[in-house]
Amino acid sequence: MLFLDKVSHYLNQALIFIAGIFLVAMIVLTCANIFLRLVWMPVSGTFELMGYFGAVLTAFALGYTQLSKGHIAVDIVVLRFSKGVQRVLKGINHILCMTFFALVTWKISKYAYNLFETGEVTETLRIVYYPFAYGVALGCAVLSLVFLTDFLKVLAGSKEGEN
Amino acid sequence: MSATAIGIIGILILLAVLFFLGMPVGFAMAIVGFCGFWYIVSFNAAINMVATDVWSTFSSYGLTVIPLFIFLGYLAFNSGIAERLYNAAYKWFGHWRGGLAIATIGADELFAAICGSNTATAATMGAVALPQMKKYNYDTRLSSGTVVTGGTLGTVMPPSVVLIVIGLQTEQSIIKLFLAGILPAILLGILFILTIVVLCRIYPHFGPAGPKVGFREKLGSLVGVLEAIGIFVMVIGGLYTGIFTPTEAGAVGVFFTIVVTVCTRRLTWKGFFSSITDSLKISSMVFFLVTGAIIFGRFLAVTRLPFMVAEFASSLPVSPYVILAFILVIYLVGGCFIDSLGFLVLTIPIFFPLGIALGFDPIWYAIILTMVTTMGAITPPVGVNIYVVKALAPEIELGTIFKSVSYFLVACIISIIILILFPQIVLIVPGMVQ
Repeated sequence: MLFLDKVSHYLNQALIFIAGIFLVAMIVLTCANIFLRLVWMPVSGTFELMGYFGAVLTAFALGYTQLSKGHIAVDIVVLRFSKGVQRVLKGINHILCMTFFALVTWKISKYAYNLFETGEVTETLRIVYYPFAYGVALGCAVLSLVFLTDFLKVLAGSKEGEN
Repeated sequence: MSATAIGIIGILILLAVLFFLGMPVGFAMAIVGFCGFWYIVSFNAAINMVATDVWSTFSSYGLTVIPLFIFLGYLAFNSGIAERLYNAAYKWFGHWRGGLAIATIGADELFAAICGSNTATAATMGAVALPQMKKYNYDTRLSSGTVVTGGTLGTVMPPSVVLIVIGLQTEQSIIKLFLAGILPAILLGILFILTIVVLCRIYPHFGPAGPKVGFREKLGSLVGVLEAIGIFVMVIGGLYTGIFTPTEAGAVGVFFTIVVTVCTRRLTWKGFFSSITDSLKISSMVFFLVTGAIIFGRFLAVTRLPFMVAEFASSLPVSPYVILAFILVIYLVGGCFIDSLGFLVLTIPIFFPLGIALGFDPIWYAIILTMVTTMGAITPPVGVNIYVVKALAPEIELGTIFKSVSYFLVACIISIIILILFPQIVLIVPGMVQ
């Protein structure tokens, strides 16, 4: 489990770094588009690239946000239960989220594979965009991994409790 | 079982998942929406709907506005702009009784004009203003409430993340929502200042007058306000004149803030990287809140529940304002237990169509809902701004902060009543835009 925890940690660190690069790229691209639009002509395909950059940025930050408990949750009732009950509830929570995001990963990967097979291209730049769809699938897969790790931690915690 | 009954059960299950499992709001809405859709239609339809919604929401150009404005707010937060704003406001108002608290609200108002988050506004201003108010023997019953409630201006004054989310979720113009928020935010600020003035008249020891400052020094302090005003004018002016889309306005705001703060040597590498990481975390949270709400909204749409509720409410033989009052009470109570943005996103699929069916102007209605939801950020037990201030000043008792906030809640309620009586305050500025 320690190995899985480390893998999850380093993967999320790497993904948040890449997401940061995409955020900066979005600002540079938009400002360049505005400037060039004023002095010459707009950067072709800015809108579609911004959308895809935003998709990768969001998906890559999902796991890191979960690791730092950044997703809004309502813990006001849960905290009133005993530690044992809290552990069970957390376990159910993690397994539900893990399964859901594994399903989302599977379906978006399938969609990305279809885009790859059909050679689908963007409207303006005429470039393939399946890598962005795979990027979103990867972000969801890593989030699912975070939940799996959290679930295993809960299991390990409960065994320790029994011991 | 009828589809509507399934919709009601879906909402109850969602509440159970939220409260008893402590599942993040966005994930809970997505999972319950997925399961409900699966139950009514089929598994394949449900998983296809979820995957399509996740992909299309994440890759939507319209939503790219979110990380950019959040980044702008964090840059302002990490580069000390707030300190200069507070310093200027302090020099102008500090010698009045309660002047430091008034200066805090004034600086909040200006900081909110470049930062779209109430938590960031409260945290920034708390770090700057609380030590000053402590130094001048301000009673914590005034100082803590001022910082907690002043932060709410960040939600109403554009650019506001909450207004962006409402705009995206209800397909309203973000530009019009931003413009609509300006006068209500100013009204709210004035009412907060009046609250401080009244409190200091009744309890003079709450806010003793600070030292007087010469006119030259006052005038010099205004330089610190220029950069914030510059960013605000560039962002909102660009939107108003149609030069920028909201996303472009966000990017230009970020660029300008980086240039100004780097030139004045106030943005460190540490602050820059921390702004990026924090922005990514908040953006990802907000994106999934919106995605979860869309998925849950699709489930509710197949149950026809929102339409039934809207039809039922609009057929009731009572004034729409009675129903509005009822909705506002739900938001007020709900905001006490669920994070304000989460609660807003959760309830919009039902209450927004209802408001429209009752004949309310969508822009006005969105601002009213924002104002009420914002109160959730300052009401116990989940009021996030309260805990921000508690973290900044652990010596202040939570009970004291709650009591202090209660004075300002009156101002919040009065501002909402004024906006209901005079909707023009909200609609006049966006009405000037075609």
